[in-house]
Amino acid sequence: MQNLTSKIQSKFKVEILKTDQNEIWIKIDNQDLLDISIFAKEIGFEFFSSLAVIDFPEKNTMELIYHIWNEEDKVLLNIKTEIKREKPNIISLSEVYACCQIHEREAHELFGVKFSGNPDLSELFLEDWQERPPFLKDFNSRDYVRKNFYNKNKKNEKGYFNN
Amino acid sequence: MADSSNKKEFQDFLFGPAHPGSGNFSVRAKLDGERIIEAKSDPGYLHRGFEKLMEYRNIWQNAVLSDRICVFEPLAWNMLFAQGIEKLANIEISERAKTVRVILAELSRLQSHLIWFGAFSMASGFDTGFKIAFAYRDYILDIFSAITGARVYPTGYVCPGGLMRDIPNGIEKEISKVLQKTKQGFSYFKKEDPLFKSRTKGIGILKPEDAINMGATGQVLRASGVSCDIRKSAPYEVYQKVDFDSPVLQDGDSYSRFRLGLLEADQSIKIIEQLLNKIPSGEYLNKKMSPAMPFIIPNNEVYVRNETARGEGAMHIKGNGKENPYRVKIKGPSFTHLITILEFLLKDAEIADIPIIYWSLNGCPADMDR
Repeated sequence: MQNLTSKIQSKFKVEILKTDQNEIWIKIDNQDLLDISIFAKEIGFEFFSSLAVIDFPEKNTMELIYHIWNEEDKVLLNIKTEIKREKPNIISLSEVYACCQIHEREAHELFGVKFSGNPDLSELFLEDWQERPPFLKDFNSRDYVRKNFYNKNKKNEKGYFNN
Repeated sequence: MADSSNKKEFQDFLFGPAHPGSGNFSVRAKLDGERIIEAKSDPGYLHRGFEKLMEYRNIWQNAVLSDRICVFEPLAWNMLFAQGIEKLANIEISERAKTVRVILAELSRLQSHLIWFGAFSMASGFDTGFKIAFAYRDYILDIFSAITGARVYPTGYVCPGGLMRDIPNGIEKEISKVLQKTKQGFSYFKKEDPLFKSRTKGIGILKPEDAINMGATGQVLRASGVSCDIRKSAPYEVYQKVDFDSPVLQDGDSYSRFRLGLLEADQSIKIIEQLLNKIPSGEYLNKKMSPAMPFIIPNNEVYVRNETARGEGAMHIKGNGKENPYRVKIKGPSFTHLITILEFLLKDAEIADIPIIYWSLNGCPADMDR
């Protein structure tokens, strides 16, 4: 595993966040994402597991975390990168990992992140959704439900307005 | 007339969400006669936004909520959430809890495979198979009822820190009785039915390189000849102490996915039999953990992966020093199986093969939509 870490470090500017038994967490610049993922695939990280997006309104950033598994060396690579919150653009990895396309489509719908190069970013779960992307931290889903679906004056719906 | 012969008109075809073989899920296909030109998965009928719901709740509420991620195997998702919190906060759990968790996870896999075979039989026109599978599944549900208190949804029985309650006395005997019944149930599906074979053999072939690239996991990946099992490659709980195989088949068609399920079920029975009489004594729940006590999730993040019955289930949990998690990302195996891979396999297939290919992937719309 040390070997894999140093291989990535020798080619790219990465910050090692932590290394565990069989996990590597790295932080990279979002410009390097495509190059690093191509290199990671070459050295055995073939199984794309998932893509998580975390929203940080106070820091005005969004964090993207790509989880990729290496079956040969039994190592999980977690690539972390940051993008600006008001301009959430990043390159798509769908050319490198085909299944990344659908993960990016989901992230686009729920967080509003735009992936340049992704062939299909159409709606996935939410039909005719006109509001802000619902998984952003400043979208309060409870307020949304109260506003749109419940009536404060109805006896059996009053309880939803308690907190 | 001359114009229309040049320009072919394709028919639109909807499979689901009201089709008995589809579940809460639909496929929009473009047809040229009987052949599918293009298929688009249309998920979202079960989207409940668990990831967002979990941000508003503490870990004990989330443990209960995590049942509902997948309807077919709630215990596996229960365990995944519990493991995430344990890894995040470095909570030790006893050997007893670990062993019971593995037994429950494997029982959960067995009943999930029974549902799968039942639905698969129904989708291919063998109604009897459906009834056999669901009848034998009920024996396992009785065990769940005795241990967790509920037949299907365990309401957070596998919780952060171990288990909510201890297992009842003498349950080992009951489980071994049920295993005999389960073996009998699976024996019906092991009969090589020529009609079923002719419907599934050579249908929906997924090559190994496509399987890896499109994010196949679990039996879909292993039926395509790629050996990859999280229980083997990154063992959790007590899997490293158990002797079992992770079967691999080479053909990658619907038939080998089905056969692989049967082989896996044998291994699950083998795992449970090994552990059953060796459940160590000890506490079932870590003393520091109690649902009555508020629990602060440390400012850290983890990614946990499990081999659930359908493939790789994973959770990314981020805490920020509060009772509620800051963000939970749930990755269900059906997400790539039922969208990327299903769309790929349905291309150039025939209408009658849609249910066969769909059910051979062992998908669950609930864990896809979340």
